[in-house]
Amino acid sequence: MEKMSNMDEMVSALADGELHGEAFARAMDALATDAHARESWHAYHLVGDVLRSAELASPSSGTDFVARFRARLQDDPTAVPAVPVGLPVHDDRDAPSRVAAGSVPANAPGFGWPLLAGVASLTAVAAIAWNILGGSAGAPPAAAELAQAAPQPLRQMQAESSRPVMIRDARLDELLAAHRQAGGASALQMPAGFLRNATFESPGR
Amino acid sequence: MKTVLAQLALLACVAGAGAAWAQVPAAAVPSNTTPTGGERSISDWLMRMHEASRRRTYMGTFVVSSAAGNLSSARIWHACDGVQQMERVESLTGAPRSTFRRNDHVVTFLPDSKVVHTERRESLGLFPSLLKSSETTIPEFYAAQVTGSERVAGFDADIVQLNPRDNLRFGYRIWSEKKSGLVVKLQTLDADGQVIEQAAFSELQLDAPVKMDKLAQMMANTDGYKVHRADPVKTTAEAQGWVLKTPVAGFKSMGCYKRPPAGGGRDDTVQWIFSDGLASVSLFVQAYDRQRHAQELMLSMGATQTLARRLADKGGDWWLTVVGEVPPQTLKAFAQSLERRK
Repeated sequence: MEKMSNMDEMVSALADGELHGEAFARAMDALATDAHARESWHAYHLVGDVLRSAELASPSSGTDFVARFRARLQDDPTAVPAVPVGLPVHDDRDAPSRVAAGSVPANAPGFGWPLLAGVASLTAVAAIAWNILGGSAGAPPAAAELAQAAPQPLRQMQAESSRPVMIRDARLDELLAAHRQAGGASALQMPAGFLRNATFESPGR
Repeated sequence: MKTVLAQLALLACVAGAGAAWAQVPAAAVPSNTTPTGGERSISDWLMRMHEASRRRTYMGTFVVSSAAGNLSSARIWHACDGVQQMERVESLTGAPRSTFRRNDHVVTFLPDSKVVHTERRESLGLFPSLLKSSETTIPEFYAAQVTGSERVAGFDADIVQLNPRDNLRFGYRIWSEKKSGLVVKLQTLDADGQVIEQAAFSELQLDAPVKMDKLAQMMANTDGYKVHRADPVKTTAEAQGWVLKTPVAGFKSMGCYKRPPAGGGRDDTVQWIFSDGLASVSLFVQAYDRQRHAQELMLSMGATQTLARRLADKGGDWWLTVVGEVPPQTLKAFAQSLERRK
């Protein structure tokens, strides 16, 4: 168990661009050989990406590496199973935040981050409702399956947790914005609804 | 920045009690409550709430949170002079943006990208006529019940619950300020009475000195911004070749628009809008594009549900995205009923 936890910390540090030299090599080695480490890696990025919209992502020393590594992963079809994702996110300030995820296809080829709604959390539990209606990726994982998956340590939740829901897909953003604009058709949308929409919406970039 | 953090901290407490507000509903609504304000019909309540926003000036901090824990907040200024209404909404979370509204004219400033979106939201003006009309079907699909009173943002408010009469729509719990009727808090409830989204003033100053001319000045000042006009072209579903085989109970067509290509696509998007008077649903149809439309899905963000699927058609496939503040089964009903007639 301790080994697991060290591994997760290492992967997390790697993802943050904090590892150099030998530590870096060890982490790379772990990622190459250890499925659990890869899973941590994916979970870590999945949650991180979900919490950031593209416009909010700020370049850091680690991002170049992460981008190159991601590109490599995408070139390797065996590295990532294409399975949809659901992840309850827990956040309590003292312990590292955790995410439980199935085989997380963060970088799955063809998955392409379609319409992924991210959820940041200040509460004890956050969940993404996420169903694939018979996509080509095969059967969606059952909720139980997701819940059983080993929790992965995850850091930096707090800093991001004020974000509203993020949609990675700009096209869906546009449609959501268009729908909200039309929301005035409804009685409740006026006036609280307008405020709700103006407060909630993230206009297309 | 400090204010934002303070607000978030405050909200964290609210949301932390969150398990509590998510559980409350069932217990808080005894089935045999005799409504104290029973004289008011659902239309009376809705009209009262609407009128309040037309007659009162206020400023405050507005917070939207979902059961999943997302928080968005904004600073709100609202002014009116009996004829015109103006509003300024300054986001406190996410990317900075300022939204101004004068009646149905909405202008959104995005300081990061130096872009300003300006549009007329025709439907914003529809509401009072919708209620006054003898054709309103809201009472057929929702029942109003006063369930108590509570203080919100320092104001005494009546709690009015709007219960759906079928499973095609969500319920609402509305806190309406006692003197003015202003909506100070709004919860959206699922079929089990669980709160899936909440919008509320965390702080409110009624009759605050908000100057309309000052808001108008800010709204007009687009210097240094690139102005994007988004005025969708009005059309009809019929003209676009679409029809609903089976109507979805309670939902009426509110209009159909053609929007310019979204997100780099080549073809127009058709948006067909429905409403049952409280909830609205948009059907977006685009020509199917293998590259852009990979994943059929159903997802949920607070009260907003989204369904995307491919529609097979002999003349070429379509990609349908249905968005609405309604339960998933309602979106499915729309998706199953939509048919190509061309």
